[in-house]
Amino acid sequence: MLGIDGCLAEVMSIPGALDAMLVDHTSGMAVAFSTAVGVDADRSAAALTEALRATTDGLARTCPGDVVRIDDMLVTTDKGHHLLRLLETVFEGPLVIYVRLDLERSNLALARHRLSTISSRLAT
Amino acid sequence: MTKLDTLLAGLARERSTGALQVGRSGTIFLSEGRVTYMECAQTPSVERLLAARGLMSEAALRRVQGDGGCEKLLTEGALTPGELQYAVLGGVLDAAFFLLPVSGARPKFRPGEQHWLGGQWFFDVPGLVRECARRRAQLAEIWPSADVDSLPVRPLPRLPGHGVTLSRVQWEVIVRADHKATPLELAKQLGRPAYPVLVAVRRLAASGLLAAPDLPQRGAPAEHPPHDPKARAQPLGPPVTGDPTDLALLMRLKKALEELS
Repeated sequence: MLGIDGCLAEVMSIPGALDAMLVDHTSGMAVAFSTAVGVDADRSAAALTEALRATTDGLARTCPGDVVRIDDMLVTTDKGHHLLRLLETVFEGPLVIYVRLDLERSNLALARHRLSTISSRLAT
Repeated sequence: MTKLDTLLAGLARERSTGALQVGRSGTIFLSEGRVTYMECAQTPSVERLLAARGLMSEAALRRVQGDGGCEKLLTEGALTPGELQYAVLGGVLDAAFFLLPVSGARPKFRPGEQHWLGGQWFFDVPGLVRECARRRAQLAEIWPSADVDSLPVRPLPRLPGHGVTLSRVQWEVIVRADHKATPLELAKQLGRPAYPVLVAVRRLAASGLLAAPDLPQRGAPAEHPPHDPKARAQPLGPPVTGDPTDLALLMRLKKALEELS
């Protein structure tokens, strides 16, 4: 059973993790974030929320007849991987766990597995 | 900066501990200058939100409050420390959004008083004020007119197109909208914080899915038959007329005056 700060520490202990952030999806607010130099957490949280919303809208149109429920989203850039995991809680949600991973030093399959373990300890 | 912001900033500087009651609008709880909990009459409380999610009944929550507090809630209730923190965090920001702009009430500070759900998350006052401003800007960016926040939510009876995608909260708002409830009333009915409902309603307005707001109706109350309890009360005594051409009245008056003299 994890608290919010404990969750952030666990996410940062994933091999290759560079920064991590917890985002409230409804308001686009950065709930907690690791201290990375030069990252504007508030603005990146708001922008990532918009990206997730746009993705949900897009998927709703590409899979007609389905209710879209995103588990996680992966974006790979030339510098690294960005993993977003959506988490349902008893409260309003979803809560989004974001982690930026080093392209060379990280193992994507391991990172996804660790994220899902962490999520199950943060939300029942 | 509003008056309440200034007062709160002062309490934060003095590292005060206690409860600041803002008239009937709500209460702000501080611990050593940081906000630990906030209640607002307009938004559902964290207890109400947890009960609405089927976690525990409000009566059971009150029992836990009296005996054991948060620790007992975590061992008994099916929620993790993270979820409780997230719930308090969301509830406080929701209350702050509506409570901080309140003016006119005379706030009263009671030192030492604490809320049982306080102590889960600590907010510094400037951060809280900044987040509320960011949320206000976000609402204005979605749809500039604040009218939809306070008017009844009236979805269009027909879709002006072939298809539309709705988010979860938007769906709940559309299902629950009875053309009378305002967004804040809907939030209470749905057991959701008020701000996400405002966001959903503004997005609906921006997509053109809400009927244009009526102008406030002036006078012209609906006509009820006289036996209806809602009918306007009949005047006491015989009907009075001030019509200057009421001849019968003038004749009676003339006769009465003649009799006097």
